[in-house]
Amino acid sequence: MESIVKIQNLQKKFGKFEALKDVSFTVCPGEVVGFIGPNGAGKSTTIRILLGIIKRDAGLVKIFGKDAWEDSTYIHKRISYVPGDVALWDNLTGGEIIDLFMKLHGNGRKQKRDALIKRFELDPKRKAKNYSKGNRQKVGLIAALSVDSDLYILDEPTSGLDPLMEFRFQEEMEEIKKAKKSVLLSSHILSEVERLADKVAIIRQGEIVENGSLDELRHLMRSTITMIAEKDIEQMATVNGVFDFKQNKNQATFSADPQYLNDILRQASKLEVRKFESVPPTLENLFMRHYERKTF
Amino acid sequence: MKKRFASWHILFIHYLKRDWKKIMLWILGVSLFSAAFVPAFNEIAKGNGLQAMFETLQNPAMTSMLGPTPVESANNYTVGAMYAHEMLLFCGLLAMILTALHVISHTRKEEELGLTELIRSFQVGRQANALATIMEILLINLLLVFFITGVMLSFNVETISTEGVFLFAFSIGTAGTIGASIAIVTAQIMPTSSGAAGLALGITGFLYIIRASTDVANVDLSIWNPMGWIYLTYPFTENNWALLIYAFIFNVVFVLIAFILEEKRDMGAGFLPQREGKANAKRSLMSILGLFLKLNKGTIISWFFAFILLGGAYGSIYGDMQTFLESNKLVQQMFSQSGSTIEESFTGTIMMVMIGLVSILPIVVVNKLFTEENHAHLSQLLATKVTRARLYWTNVGIAAFSGVLGILFAAGSLGIIAITVMKRRENLEIQNFLAAGYNFLPAVLFFIGLAALTLGWAPRLRKVVYIYLVYSFMLTYFEGVLDLPNWFLKTAIQRWIPQMPVDAYDAFPFFIITVVSLVLIVVGYLGYRRRDLLEEAS
Repeated sequence: MESIVKIQNLQKKFGKFEALKDVSFTVCPGEVVGFIGPNGAGKSTTIRILLGIIKRDAGLVKIFGKDAWEDSTYIHKRISYVPGDVALWDNLTGGEIIDLFMKLHGNGRKQKRDALIKRFELDPKRKAKNYSKGNRQKVGLIAALSVDSDLYILDEPTSGLDPLMEFRFQEEMEEIKKAKKSVLLSSHILSEVERLADKVAIIRQGEIVENGSLDELRHLMRSTITMIAEKDIEQMATVNGVFDFKQNKNQATFSADPQYLNDILRQASKLEVRKFESVPPTLENLFMRHYERKTF
Repeated sequence: MKKRFASWHILFIHYLKRDWKKIMLWILGVSLFSAAFVPAFNEIAKGNGLQAMFETLQNPAMTSMLGPTPVESANNYTVGAMYAHEMLLFCGLLAMILTALHVISHTRKEEELGLTELIRSFQVGRQANALATIMEILLINLLLVFFITGVMLSFNVETISTEGVFLFAFSIGTAGTIGASIAIVTAQIMPTSSGAAGLALGITGFLYIIRASTDVANVDLSIWNPMGWIYLTYPFTENNWALLIYAFIFNVVFVLIAFILEEKRDMGAGFLPQREGKANAKRSLMSILGLFLKLNKGTIISWFFAFILLGGAYGSIYGDMQTFLESNKLVQQMFSQSGSTIEESFTGTIMMVMIGLVSILPIVVVNKLFTEENHAHLSQLLATKVTRARLYWTNVGIAAFSGVLGILFAAGSLGIIAITVMKRRENLEIQNFLAAGYNFLPAVLFFIGLAALTLGWAPRLRKVVYIYLVYSFMLTYFEGVLDLPNWFLKTAIQRWIPQMPVDAYDAFPFFIITVVSLVLIVVGYLGYRRRDLLEEAS
């Protein structure tokens, strides 16, 4: 199937600074792609290039099969965007701003708008200058979710929201997923990405360093195992594929390489196991591993 | 082509909704200022008023400030000719500055605030915002033209003809569009919005100063100056509509250049790159004084530069003044009776005007503290051992310092250039210029006091200080040409101080105003110490 977003070998320089060196990834129809990376890695730059508000230096950037810079007005009919820091006009109310955004988009639904305002508990009659960070973010979210789009580009959309609102946002995202829309979700809240994303692309210093489905990536990673055994648990330390072994009396915690899982289980079965817990790798493990190891 | 401007009309309507209050004030203010003085001029014209005014304005010093007239003899000088002569350049300049700032605020400023980013994520063309801004500017200036026309015609003065009124109004409206097209190009070039505004105002100021010299030296040269197309139309006399066509072509070219540049640039960035900063703070930055000096550095230096340029421009006129005096018996008589020379008299007047301009800088510096507060930059500072007293006194100190140096640069460059160009020494030495300048120091302190007072008690009213400054500036600028009663003139603080070197130094008002200013500053501090910080969300 043709991809909704296709980025190949994207490069962008700001003066001498290479913001993006080599960025490639795709978003397919009905897919939620988590776009993660540390601050300054190039996430927002990539997103701005996708939106056609800054121009790439090299590479290919297509949305719906059209060029992101040349055909931005066509593309923008079918996308919604929420930035991480929603800037608003001080002297307009939240409701007025949402209406303006819906009008600029063209496919707004009034009912959906009103429902979302209730759901996110926004007071649409207040002037934007009196909104807190979280409330401004709600204005951006409501405007983006009140319109019919095929692609949602969300740049840290929940920053500043309280946990309840964050949860409501995730529910809305589930709806979008069910409707087979595509989402590019950039976020630092890894649990959120883990819950929603089918695929992740990790960017670091302007390069994509990891790209694939979460399941695939998990397979490459070690689970954390906690076990309690009657017999001498120390024997586990020397088994192939066991790392970071820590022992406390008859309890041991270690990480297990998925390749050697069978060897580990065979050895464990000899030790009269009382308890055996395996925690699959979290996105956070993946993320941290990537960044800690490769820091220069 | 169409998609470049997609949805511009929605942005246009949005701007009108957002700005309608500003637009109303703008149109009302500028059109009343441009048109409502007709009865006053009619009064002046009575008796020998027209002839006297004609002679006065022949003075190159006046020409450099107000522009030339095509009328060659006092007999042909009508109320209309006088009105255009005295008012048109200044009103055009005002319209230019207002539109230039408005254009920057709707282009680069919005990008910097992050507003454009969201807008552009919709099906909005890359140049829709620029087009919407231009359309708004055109609408505002068109309304301005009709308002000015309406007000002026309502006075029903014989020599203020309908054609002349339309040309007068269209010249002011055109001035606005020239300011807009300059600003829309600088908005594409400069790395920041403040840089873009600075360059646009700098170009405007430069054009004004250039035309001051060409008007005096050879008025034919002024026709090459975009600002010349405003006042050289000579409404009520020559009715030279053709110049507005030049302006129209200029606007089209500049707007096209801006469109081409904008098509190629990234949002939020100009064509000139931003310089890379330092990784570590210098020692000089690591104090409240150092921090605020750094924050104000760009502003202070560019104003100082402007003062030097302005002083130099006015100083260069001193040479021509003697020629003018020798050619005109009547004026010669006037000055020999008053016991002062034409140069001394001009020094007194121009110094008052320049000090009005010098006063802007310290007000800007004092208000900077509030801008920082409003942007929530101060709460982090105040969470350390830094006290409010420290912030307040440091800032007022920098303001006072910039005022003192500002006078030095303005009066100093005026004096140096004037002494260089005068063939015949007129007992004017550099110390006379400096004394005349520092004689007005209390007025500068008074404006600092007012700014400090609003900072301490009612920072939302801080713009009132600018309004009072503009008001007193206007009074001093036009007092020579308008016949105003003394009590009215005295509402400008500068009028309480005698004008050296014509008048003698008077210690009494000097010290009284200084003391009043210091009291205002202290009262301001009392308010600043206890009031809530006014912070807008990040």
